[in-house]
Amino acid sequence: MSAAASATRKQDMPPPGGYKKIPYLRVPAKSYFTGFQMLAGYAVVTAAGMYVYYLTAKQIHREEIENRSAQNVIYPLLIAERDREFLKQLRRNRDEEAKLMANVPGWEVGTWYGEPVYKTLPKDTLVTPLFKEFYAHTDYKSYAKRAHLKLWS
Amino acid sequence: MVITNDITLPTDEELTVQELNLSTSALRAGAFHLGKHCENQNNEFMLCRQELDDPRACINEGKAVTSCALDFFRKVKKTCHEEFLQYATCLDKSSGNMAFGHCRKTQGVFDKCVSDNLGIDRPEYGYFTRAKIHSTEREAPPKAIKKEYPDATPGLPDDYPKPPAKYGSRFHWLE
Repeated sequence: MSAAASATRKQDMPPPGGYKKIPYLRVPAKSYFTGFQMLAGYAVVTAAGMYVYYLTAKQIHREEIENRSAQNVIYPLLIAERDREFLKQLRRNRDEEAKLMANVPGWEVGTWYGEPVYKTLPKDTLVTPLFKEFYAHTDYKSYAKRAHLKLWS
Repeated sequence: MVITNDITLPTDEELTVQELNLSTSALRAGAFHLGKHCENQNNEFMLCRQELDDPRACINEGKAVTSCALDFFRKVKKTCHEEFLQYATCLDKSSGNMAFGHCRKTQGVFDKCVSDNLGIDRPEYGYFTRAKIHSTEREAPPKAIKKEYPDATPGLPDDYPKPPAKYGSRFHWLE
């Protein structure tokens, strides 16, 4: 071994002041609340939410009642008007059928050559006709307007 | 059609009266006071309609309803036209279903006007949803008579012996 080589060698040593400590300890996240505090918070928030829900539900219920109340007032008006128009239209339909079938021998209005649809009912009973029967003598447009009313409103 | 010549239909003259030519918002705006003003007519008509279940039987009651409503709205037009229009417009424009909740201010103005001029106070909000007792001149329709069949199987006489079941019930837990 030569003297020059041994002079340049330097032993690997720890840095001055020693190595850093090995961080082996657990570092927990900072906790703001304890478990019981969080449970209490949950209870408070839920209670507040339920209270607001109760208030809103009460108000909605009240408005529904008010709405129904107003509708109940208007209902007789609408029914009265509807009844008059309905009876007028029934007469128009009957006259139209009589006119249409005037040339058919043996035809009686509202029956199948004298055979009534309802045999057991008293003579003067008003049976509401089926929807398509009621609109039988009109054009398709009027029929469709009423039949598909829900699609438009 | 099921409408034969035997069925009596009222003539057009009997059915033609002046109709109430108002839109939904106006009807709703006036609904509560209208209901109070025409309470008797409305109840009479609805009772008739429910009891007899025949549109021909309640024509006159229906006419009374319409004429009463016309009368009410004419009065409103004479006295509270501005307030009424304001309230109806508010109902119309504030929501899609013309809810009352958005128009309390205009409603208050209209209520005050009607109360001052026509003497009708707005009833509480659920007034017309409550069941009412209505006394009427019209006689109630006869109730359906229960049919008696002479050849129906006779029941056991009341004093027929009824001993307990010999082997108990199948459903022993019911005994």
